[in-house]
Amino acid sequence: MAALPTLPGAGRRVAVRVLLNQLRFTALQAVPLVVLLSALLSFVVIRTSYQFTGLNEFVGTLMVVTVVQLLGPLLTALAVAGRSGTAITAELATNTVLGEIRALEGMGIDPYHYLVLPRLAGSVVSVTILIILFDVVALLSGFAATYASQASGARYLTNVLTALEGRDVILTVVKGILFGTVIGLLPSYHGLRVTRGPTEIPQAVTRGTVASIALIFIITALLMLLFGA
Amino acid sequence: MNDEALPLVFEGIPLGLLPGGSRMGSDPNAVFSLEVRPHETVVVIGDATSGVDALAALVLGLDPAPGGRALVWGTEIALLSRLKQLAFRRRVGYLPAGDGLLQNLSLRDNIRLPLRFGSDFQPDEIEGRVDVILAQLRLKAVAHFRPAAATEEERRRAALGRALAFDPELVVLDQPFDGLTERVAAELLEVARGGEVAEGGRRTVFITGQDLPAMLRPRVERLVRLGATPAPLRA
Repeated sequence: MAALPTLPGAGRRVAVRVLLNQLRFTALQAVPLVVLLSALLSFVVIRTSYQFTGLNEFVGTLMVVTVVQLLGPLLTALAVAGRSGTAITAELATNTVLGEIRALEGMGIDPYHYLVLPRLAGSVVSVTILIILFDVVALLSGFAATYASQASGARYLTNVLTALEGRDVILTVVKGILFGTVIGLLPSYHGLRVTRGPTEIPQAVTRGTVASIALIFIITALLMLLFGA
Repeated sequence: MNDEALPLVFEGIPLGLLPGGSRMGSDPNAVFSLEVRPHETVVVIGDATSGVDALAALVLGLDPAPGGRALVWGTEIALLSRLKQLAFRRRVGYLPAGDGLLQNLSLRDNIRLPLRFGSDFQPDEIEGRVDVILAQLRLKAVAHFRPAAATEEERRRAALGRALAFDPELVVLDQPFDGLTERVAAELLEVARGGEVAEGGRRTVFITGQDLPAMLRPRVERLVRLGATPAPLRA
């Protein structure tokens, strides 16, 4: 008998293909939803600001505080959890119920390597990119609203850049990684835990989604306590 | 792994403790022992409460043995580290009960998956192997079908093709013939055996199920009925 083979590079190539599919579904196809949410949130913030102070350049500071530091990452993560997290749980639970996970194990293919890791990596990358996209669209919306109301666009940008600290950028990336990890791991865990049959799939989806949303809020609160944002 | 060891050995497996195994049977203390020699095709059959459904998973180490042990080339797969388990299983062709094909992949991609994931073969070599398997199992015309669009017979053919992708020396087939005609079952058995050599089939084949079609009985070396004395069908 030949020596035991080790995990080959070809396995990684297959996993990369699964990762690209995950990026296409989680990031690319979610762009319209994130842009829409960001634009709507910007409208709400700008409209509220207008009601209380009139529309002026300080809306830039408001956008940084409310959108970049708090609501942008939170809403993006919730949107991805609702859209992709549910899909991950349903898909993996179906794989489990149909015996596909066991068949993979029997063939010597690690389901975590083939199914979970690409989804985890895809979620982390996707959520981080989408949060950045959300923030950029929100800040541009603020600029457009300011410009349209005859206020100074230059002062708006100055206020945004003054309010925006390096720490905000780092926290945005940290939140992207943390939220992406939550959305990649918890739905996968609940999907692979299914044992009884098809009727358990919707329950697993519910458990995965609720757990993800709860943990996203907990992480947001903890970061708020630790870093004030 | 021991080069001189038998391809497959069951030692003292307590049938009543296996998943599906009933302690209400005629002999709740019955243990199962069996040696499968190279080039043999051995079939183990039994009813749903006999524990036969759990034997294939024991071989692959997918479930731990509740007692006794299942050895593949002298190695108990369940006791290996996870990475070694996965590597070892790629030496064994496995057709799980119900086929276990991935629903989001075509039949061709299902056959290609273990080669792409578990080998360093070049893409051309993989495609060549897959083409041969598809032709051998007469699946070329439906190779692009997803499992949901294929018939049960085509799915079973594809699952067998996937099990044989690495051209393994040992093939474990879990209830492979359920729902198939005797003619198709006989054809798949011949493909699993991989042709004939002086000692028997080119491959060693271990099959579990609740019954064996009559047409296939002359084509296997041994048929073991759980709860009954093993009887050689052919010298």
